[in-house]
Amino acid sequence: MTTTQGALEYTAEPRIRWRQHAVTFGRIAFALLLLAGWKIGADVAGPVYAADPVKVAQRIVEDTANGTLLRHIYVTVRLAAIGFAIGCFFGVALPFLLRLLPRLTNAVEPYIMASVGVPKYALIPLFILWFGIDDAPKLWLVGLLVFYPVFIAVFAGIRNVDARLVNMARVAGAGEVAIAREVVWNSLLPFFFASLKIALPRAVSAAIIGEFLVGNEGLGYLIEYSRQNFDTTGVFAGVVVATALVLVINAVLVWIDRRLSAWRPVERDMEL
Amino acid sequence: MPARTSTESSDAVGVRPAPERSATRTRFDRLLVLVVLLALWVALALTLERGTYWVGSPWGVASRLGSDIWGGIWRGLGFLAGPAWVDSVLGAMTRPANAAQGGEIFIHASYTLFEALAGFLLGAIPAAALPFLLRRLPIVTAVIDPFMVGGYGAPKLALAPLFILWFGIGIESKIALVAITVFFIVYFSALAGVRALDAKLVQMAQVMGASERAVARHIVFPGAVPYIFTGLRIAMPYSIGGAVIAELISANRGLGYLIQLGANNFDTTAVFVALVATTCIVFVGNWSVNVAERWLLRWRPPADLRAEAEGRP
Amino acid sequence: MTAEPLLEVSDLAKRFAARAGRDAPPWVIQGLSFAVKDGEFLTIIGPSGSGKTTLLNMIAQIDTASGGTVRFQSQSAPVGDPKALNPGLSCKIGYVTQEDNLLPWRTTLQNVLFPLKVQGRLNEKTRAHADALIRAVGLGGFERHYPHELSGGMRKRASLIRTLVYDPPVILMDEPFGALDAQTRTQLQEDLMRLWDLGRKTIIFVTHDIAEAIALGDRTLVLSRAPASIAGEHEIGIPRPRDIRGIMTHPDFSPLYQAIRAQVQ
Repeated sequence: MTTTQGALEYTAEPRIRWRQHAVTFGRIAFALLLLAGWKIGADVAGPVYAADPVKVAQRIVEDTANGTLLRHIYVTVRLAAIGFAIGCFFGVALPFLLRLLPRLTNAVEPYIMASVGVPKYALIPLFILWFGIDDAPKLWLVGLLVFYPVFIAVFAGIRNVDARLVNMARVAGAGEVAIAREVVWNSLLPFFFASLKIALPRAVSAAIIGEFLVGNEGLGYLIEYSRQNFDTTGVFAGVVVATALVLVINAVLVWIDRRLSAWRPVERDMEL
Repeated sequence: MPARTSTESSDAVGVRPAPERSATRTRFDRLLVLVVLLALWVALALTLERGTYWVGSPWGVASRLGSDIWGGIWRGLGFLAGPAWVDSVLGAMTRPANAAQGGEIFIHASYTLFEALAGFLLGAIPAAALPFLLRRLPIVTAVIDPFMVGGYGAPKLALAPLFILWFGIGIESKIALVAITVFFIVYFSALAGVRALDAKLVQMAQVMGASERAVARHIVFPGAVPYIFTGLRIAMPYSIGGAVIAELISANRGLGYLIQLGANNFDTTAVFVALVATTCIVFVGNWSVNVAERWLLRWRPPADLRAEAEGRP
Repeated sequence: MTAEPLLEVSDLAKRFAARAGRDAPPWVIQGLSFAVKDGEFLTIIGPSGSGKTTLLNMIAQIDTASGGTVRFQSQSAPVGDPKALNPGLSCKIGYVTQEDNLLPWRTTLQNVLFPLKVQGRLNEKTRAHADALIRAVGLGGFERHYPHELSGGMRKRASLIRTLVYDPPVILMDEPFGALDAQTRTQLQEDLMRLWDLGRKTIIFVTHDIAEAIALGDRTLVLSRAPASIAGEHEIGIPRPRDIRGIMTHPDFSPLYQAIRAQVQ
């Protein structure tokens, strides 16, 4: 029983309530401080370097009203979603395939792990050379960035399937497909979902970055185009919307995760 | 226990085959895969129409990389040893065709590396220090927590144009981008490390008369180091990736710049050369973190004992 | 030896704080009083869960008491206010805990030197003392090993001499040998007796093993079940130096054992 624990237990109730209020107050104060800092920074640094928050808000509202912002958001999200689906599919399918070819898996594993070291964003120009300047290079980028965490998670999950469960299923008469579906798939679901939490925000992020370099629509294009035209307000507006988008997606994922975890035991150590 | 056949999936399910039997076979298999991949590369370069556009030329990559590296070494030796090297027999024999250049790849690589390293340190050091400084002020930690989570979740790499707007196309924008990316990653790892404090060790030290500062220095900090290293390891690829992305968008030096330059000139070979160099840097980075960790954390029990202690299989 | 006890515990009481919506929690310790003389080896026996560790925590000032007083060297020590606690009473009270609590990132030698370092007493003389202690418990040659490279018994020994090295006048020991096998335990008991003989510190040794309590102590106290207080006190007249391995053959052993056993129930 530690000193602090003992102390807290003595004065548990009133202390916690006071503390919670202080924290909430502190957070609001800090947020206001940041906003104030932004406003002051904008005034001091001038319109080239920092856009006035009010103007940024106005721009966002304007662009939403005339539909251009929504169009950009739609393009980015669509790109992210398609790339995510592709990356997820291969990320899940490939380990299952490799599972049936253990010798090949063993031989190829170090190269796959080595390829993780290649910065995928650095491949964008190559993809542009290969696939042109439409959506294709961006889809490849998003797909790859989603593929890797999902693949590694599912691969590790399959590796860690309890052999005893598999043996039990086999003894009970299950064939390969049934084993794959029943034992393997369920065992690796927690790993898979954990990787999705990483992969989905990454997909959006990758779509935006892809749009920096190629294309003429999307949030990334909006940000970069504004920068090239020294339209600082546009840059800020784009950054704010992009950040908000990813944060919202994160929050939704956390919410879904919490709902799902209600009935499934979630393991803690699944950072991959 | 059912007998093992080639279609038995107990191998693939994670029950490892007897090591002695397959260690050599695995090494052979892996070598075979490497040979096949290289052969495929050469085959594609030769047989595809405009093959070198699609996959670059393997010999082109090898020769350019080789001559650039040798050129760099040659010039480096010349710089260090002066005429003693340049006029020597070996030096004269191996003098590269264009002696004024050579080593370009090193120059660009060093720019990228510097951006990544400087940003890494600039971000990691405050991020690791902050949880320690706030250790006695849990309210402050709680207040900034949602902002930190937001900063962590927000796509920092997507802010690259903003940083270029602010700091120009030089190295400062890349360093700033890397720093902010690394900061949030390392902050949470360090926070976890400070929180994972073993209260019993603190009590023990207090009974022995340790002051607050001694406790922080001897108990809190060493206990947090493993966690900080996890954060460093995660952040390292992001630091190089961030530098390269920013260079892709706008730069006049660095490996990302080389990649973009090569692509703009439809020179796939040049792109591959730069990619190889980038990947090498990532490996060097990984290796450095591993070496540092192995030395600093040599007191740690090996992973399986640790897992046992924590109740994992 | 002065008649004034070195450490005196009066009417000590402890209960843990009530949780919202539950009844008042039971008293873990109530009306506990005893005194320890300078240079005495006191053993305390109690069944598991009788609050032995809580008692030691309170004496060592890492936990607060809900009532009663603790006097050390005729001065009252703060017991009720968590903020006023002084862990270890400024290094006057040493504490060998149940878990060895060695710092995993320090070698054996560095661990043993640790209290000297934080107290600022690291010098030629104290280093030599540490070396002597390390050799005395058979850890010579393992100075550069990390804790995870040592066996359980070795870690226990390191933890023991880590407290001995800075010579606190009173040492609390919480079932230090409980987790070890019988052979190692006997060996460590002998080591402890030998070391104690050199300095005759005041030791309060808590255990659930009656034989160990008789073998080691000058006097034994028996703790009752919750709410714990002193259920009995036994002088152990067996003269020193004692034969730890053969203690059970001593004529005084059996009657003592029976008497204590009856009280422990």
